[in-house]
Amino acid sequence: MLELRDLRVQIGGHEIIHIDELDLEPGTRLGLVGESGSGKTMTAKAIAGLLPDEAKVSGSVRFEGRELVAMGDSEFSEIRGKQIGFVFQDPARSLNPMMRIGRQVSEAIRLHARLNRRACTTKVIELLEQVQLPDPESLLRRYPHQLSGGQQQRVMIAAAIAADPELLIADEPTTALDVTVQEEILRLLISLSEQRKMSVLFVSHDLGVIRFVCDRVAVIYGGSVIEAGRIEDVVANPMHRYTAALLAANPGMPRDDNFSAFIGQRLQTIEGTVPAVGNFPSGCRFRNRCEHAIDACTATPKPAIVENDHRHSCWNPVVEG
Amino acid sequence: MASWTHESATKRASMPEPQPMEATALNQFAPARPEALWRRLGRLPITLYLGGTLVSLFVLVTLVSFVWTPHPPNQMNLSTRLASPGTSGFLLGTDRAGRDVVTELMLGARNSLYVSVVSTIVAMVLGTAIGLAIAGSPRVIQGVSTRLVDAGLALPGILTALVLAAKLGAGNTTATLAIITWQVPVAARVTIGPARQILALDFVEAAYGYGRRKPYVLRRHVLPNIGPLLIVLGSVMFAAAILIEAALAFLGVGVQPPTSSWGRFLNETQSLLEAAPFLMFFPGLAIVLTALGFNLLGDGLRTVLDPQQARSGLS
Amino acid sequence: MSLVDVSGMFFHYPRARLGAGSEGWTLHDISLTIRPQSTLGIVGESGSGKSTLIRVMCGLLRHQRGTVRFDGDDILQLSREGLNELHRRNQIVFQNPRRSLDPRMTIARSLSEPVRALHDRTPDDTELIASLERVGLGQEVLPRFPHQLSGGQLQRVGIARSLSVNPTILYADEPVSALDVSVQAQVLNLLMDLRDELGLTLVMVSHDLGVVSRMCEDIVVMRDGRIVESGVTSAVLAQPESSYTGALLRAARAASLERAQEA
Repeated sequence: MLELRDLRVQIGGHEIIHIDELDLEPGTRLGLVGESGSGKTMTAKAIAGLLPDEAKVSGSVRFEGRELVAMGDSEFSEIRGKQIGFVFQDPARSLNPMMRIGRQVSEAIRLHARLNRRACTTKVIELLEQVQLPDPESLLRRYPHQLSGGQQQRVMIAAAIAADPELLIADEPTTALDVTVQEEILRLLISLSEQRKMSVLFVSHDLGVIRFVCDRVAVIYGGSVIEAGRIEDVVANPMHRYTAALLAANPGMPRDDNFSAFIGQRLQTIEGTVPAVGNFPSGCRFRNRCEHAIDACTATPKPAIVENDHRHSCWNPVVEG
Repeated sequence: MASWTHESATKRASMPEPQPMEATALNQFAPARPEALWRRLGRLPITLYLGGTLVSLFVLVTLVSFVWTPHPPNQMNLSTRLASPGTSGFLLGTDRAGRDVVTELMLGARNSLYVSVVSTIVAMVLGTAIGLAIAGSPRVIQGVSTRLVDAGLALPGILTALVLAAKLGAGNTTATLAIITWQVPVAARVTIGPARQILALDFVEAAYGYGRRKPYVLRRHVLPNIGPLLIVLGSVMFAAAILIEAALAFLGVGVQPPTSSWGRFLNETQSLLEAAPFLMFFPGLAIVLTALGFNLLGDGLRTVLDPQQARSGLS
Repeated sequence: MSLVDVSGMFFHYPRARLGAGSEGWTLHDISLTIRPQSTLGIVGESGSGKSTLIRVMCGLLRHQRGTVRFDGDDILQLSREGLNELHRRNQIVFQNPRRSLDPRMTIARSLSEPVRALHDRTPDDTELIASLERVGLGQEVLPRFPHQLSGGQLQRVGIARSLSVNPTILYADEPVSALDVSVQAQVLNLLMDLRDELGLTLVMVSHDLGVVSRMCEDIVVMRDGRIVESGVTSAVLAQPESSYTGALLRAARAASLERAQEA
């Protein structure tokens, strides 16, 4: 239901995003994982049409059969909210601190449906129940600062699904939350997605979280998808060197709860840092930080497909060991 | 599950800070070579240019007045009183005593500049010092002192000026003192908030952690970081000073003849409305444009020095 | 003999409204010891008081009840000089590298501040360069300003700054939460190396059980200002006594990469 083909975004003379191919099937959850500077948030914004004015976009983003690139703002605004919902990272910032909860959610409803006051309030309460907030009636009159982070995020999610969108784009929705709260919110997203057959595009830097929530994953580095596939395949058999390095650098939890052996173990690091936009090397953008770079890496990488739709674009991929 | 999964509604909603790293990395759109100067200048706000031009004009005119004026200062030509603008030799006409308007304006500018510079500098230094001291004091004292500052703000400035004039007589000194009294609470109030914000930042805590004391922190950590704010404040206070000085002179509380003053000039034109209706525009315009210039400059500076630029202290 | 000895400590913030029982207090009845050259992890979620706890132990906040002893001395009884010494020997590395350095000071200046303040002298360039080298940075960062460095580099500068006065204990308050995964790995490795090289006592505050279990021999679990469980990390995490610890573990495992998630 969402297809990206040869999507390119240019800002200030630099191509910051170049995605050959990215698909999202209806009712599935796709994770977009990358570090800062990887382009993952920019990609989400490109899909949503929320890029800054000076960005030049080319290529194709087909959503439910409609072409989103170069769509007019008014048309796009219709789609945003009604068919695409958004959940952002910091709920405290996305919620209006001066507006009561009830009103904020009903605004989201009213934008896309004509409902009278009473019907609206009922719908709001319904939504708050669906995001598992206790005692929705009393919440209606509260202000955001009276809620905890997890509750605020649930409100955000309620507003995002208010118009029953087909696609939910979530950008680091749990990064600012405690770990126990995080688990609950993630479970909520999974159940909402399954109940409503709603696709989710989950953007995060945390592979562990993506693994918990998503069926498929696309790893982004330097503005391109360098590996994509089913989450279990990618985590168990990473092909691209960057994916492998990312997995190795994750502090994680010890295997089989063997805590005593875990302690003092050094982590495998990736040398250097993500270069600034104009400073990526030619060919494979990761090659100047890659331990396994070979001569061939100076050429622009071509996608290769391993089984099960597990794609990557590495010239010197990880070999089964 | 047990009770602890129902999170308590704690005020601090999140502990690990949300990561703004993405924005920082991708905002490095600066190309490898420094951008063409003219392009960078083209992106500066127009208020900066307009304001800058007006202010420069003002300063220029003032400086020139020390070296040259179209007519000798205060020269009265009773034969050419109230001449219209364009009369030979008098670009903007003459006033009631036959003095050339342009010369009068230039001399008046000197006065305005002198009073506003002195009063603004003193008010800023005092006000900032007070603001910093308050920001750094214990909560209880802060509460009381902030209220005192607010009380100072509430005092009607003109009234204070009139009282001062009654005690000390009219003149530039009185005007300067009145402006200072008026503006110190302003500067203090503006400083307190941002200073407190900075005091709450980690690097201040780190400074305490390696033994620095409050005065040092205020001087070396807080002050430099509110620098841009102070620059903007200064320009706005300058504009206010110009206006207040003119108002006081208008009321007869400011500088007395033979020293020229825009405010007094404006006052004089009041009674000449029938005889020379055009005359009042000139000092009025001078006052307005100069104050406007400083305001625009301050506005432009604030845009330029805004949090968008990571360089400024309070981002 | 323990390096830090906390006994029955209670703390509340200055303007807190104290109610019946424990209302308003941020820390309740805290008792713990830290052995020299050990590594301690303090784990908890937001509101648990873990950041407040280390600031009390450092002497940055004054507790109202109970005792906190550093190397045998009651920190509330220290003279001005004693306090300086306490600060010198207890340094904190902060969570957000961009906020822990004065944006208007060059790296060189920021680095030299602790020595200036505590030893009343200005370190020369050689010293600063050696400081940077210890954390894997080159001297080119000296004249730069914080906004010109990356998060990872800034965090290293923060660590170098803390180490410049040869502290005995390094408190790391969520030192890697604001950093990318790959940079996190670098900084964590660095902390482990420094600890080995310099014989530091390392106290690490984190919400991330994975990080703590990798770095810390001992662990303290906090919740709502109280210590819920403490002990040797491997023992506590392998067999948690408190259900809260169990919940933290479960949540950490769910979002980790190791096992397939429970259905």
